[in-house]
Amino acid sequence: MTDDELADRVRALLGGSVSCSVSYGTVTADVPRERWVEAASAVRDTLGMVFFDLLTAVDVLEDGFDVVVRLWAPADRHGLLLRTRCPRDDARVASLTSVFAGAAWHERQVWEMFDIDVDGHPGLTPLLLPPGFEGHPMRKEFVLAARVAKAWPGAKDPGESDSDLATGRPRRRLQPPGVPRPGSRP
Amino acid sequence: MTAVPDRARGVIALHEDSCTSCMLCARECPDWCIYIDSHKETRPPSTPHGHPRVEAVLDRFAIDFSLCMYCGICIEVCPFDALFWSPEYSYAGPDPLSLLQERDELGTWLRSVPEPEPGSTDVR
Repeated sequence: MTDDELADRVRALLGGSVSCSVSYGTVTADVPRERWVEAASAVRDTLGMVFFDLLTAVDVLEDGFDVVVRLWAPADRHGLLLRTRCPRDDARVASLTSVFAGAAWHERQVWEMFDIDVDGHPGLTPLLLPPGFEGHPMRKEFVLAARVAKAWPGAKDPGESDSDLATGRPRRRLQPPGVPRPGSRP
Repeated sequence: MTAVPDRARGVIALHEDSCTSCMLCARECPDWCIYIDSHKETRPPSTPHGHPRVEAVLDRFAIDFSLCMYCGICIEVCPFDALFWSPEYSYAGPDPLSLLQERDELGTWLRSVPEPEPGSTDVR
């Protein structure tokens, strides 16, 4: 089965409220949040997607968060990404643990790393973060301590060394990409 | 036990003469683990009425393999083909600082960098 054929089958199975795209050899189905569990259950039972590979989230800034699950059909040797979006001020999804018990740990991780609430989860406790840890490190507004403590090696221009940074004329320097400025925390 | 493939991503080799100290690799590195120092030197004009040229001369090039995540972005982004994958992997040391490799050490890995694959469209 080609990717396009799989995308057609997913569209036929999940209906009009689901959009399906193929990029870089991966079929991705965007599911409305209220159909999250139903969609995972349907592709598992109908398309043979019985192997739960991973579940994670993506911080898409003002658009909220994408929660992504990758499923795999061992018999047909093809995979599928299911994706749903939740707004930033209502970051929650339904738990997939009723469909795949193994989703429990992944959802705990999404909960502690992104502060996305998982409705119906059997035990939301931190998985990886130490007791007392404050903040949600995979959110883009979270400033990594290591990025604050360490100077960016890319701040120098060609022909400069560390001593030029200290003694040179003050001027606007290139800033590292993807690192929030100090004080920019909401 | 089979041998390590010669295109395995074991360590990053530096071809120093190709490096122009442009800083692109250090800026693209997601782990901030490439350190480059350079200074400017003025070269005399190459033609009788030409202008002198100012070029950057490399003073330090180091990769901290205790931070590196072997993504290869530095190799991809280098416009002058100064960085290469080498399959060598056996450079563990007694402490993390021994994984901070300066340019001499990075240069020694060139010995195991494979030739480009025949028919490859990659100019590298």
